Amino acid sequence: MDMPVTAGQQIPGFTREVVQADIRRYAEASGDFNPIHIDEDFARATPLGGTIAHGMLVLAYMSEMMARAFGDAWDETGRFSARFRSPARPGDRLEVTGHVESVNDESDIVVVTCSLSCRNQAEEVVVTGEARVNLSV
Amino acid sequence: MAAGYDELSPGHEFPPVAYELDAEAVEAYVEAVGAERRAHVPPLAVAARAIASLGELMELPAGTIHASQDFEFIALVPVGAKVSCVATVVKKLARGPMRMLTLELVVSDEHGAVVQRGRSTVVLPEAA
Repeated sequence: MDMPVTAGQQIPGFTREVVQADIRRYAEASGDFNPIHIDEDFARATPLGGTIAHGMLVLAYMSEMMARAFGDAWDETGRFSARFRSPARPGDRLEVTGHVESVNDESDIVVVTCSLSCRNQAEEVVVTGEARVNLSV
Repeated sequence: MAAGYDELSPGHEFPPVAYELDAEAVEAYVEAVGAERRAHVPPLAVAARAIASLGELMELPAGTIHASQDFEFIALVPVGAKVSCVATVVKKLARGPMRMLTLELVVSDEHGAVVQRGRSTVVLPEAA
């Protein structure tokens, strides 16, 4: 973020549509071929009733929002605690948002704590999380 | 040989799994998640490969899903780095048909310096 970071500040978010082709691409890139993500016949027979996106794919969107806001500081000092609340399914439109909860000066660094969330088009919470990043002063 | 859920107990440490984050693998990840390109490996690309590497160590049933995930990024990882991941079973919970497993993952570079830590909790599908 170019401007001084303050509590309550919104982190610029974005929306992403979940499509099965992207889930397949993520499976190949990550090496996670759990059939719940990529095998529609298998997934349809489970209580989930169909394929779901990898949780790590959704977290990648949230981490990317933090990286765009805080640059290398996020990639080098970030902490992220996430809870998966409901699955992201093909066809969902995910909105990734966040805001700064607190900003604390600690000697030579500023610790920024953020609240993050990912919701689908029905406003259902998909993931909630708390993130922390250290900024040099 | 990969261990099954019933063979695991808290404190169990798996042997390290090594992997290389070469330019091709990083590019595939960046494309898949729509990340911005940077001079180093996106930290979740490091984590994603670490979590996927668990598949070499554990035989969890198809349909196992993520319940929670924590990360701590400690150092930037350059493209082309060879890293290794050590996973340890932290918690195992079986209550009725519900089974959960919490693992701690520590990713280190070639010199043994820790670059990332994580904690994954997964929920296994109900046993047939």
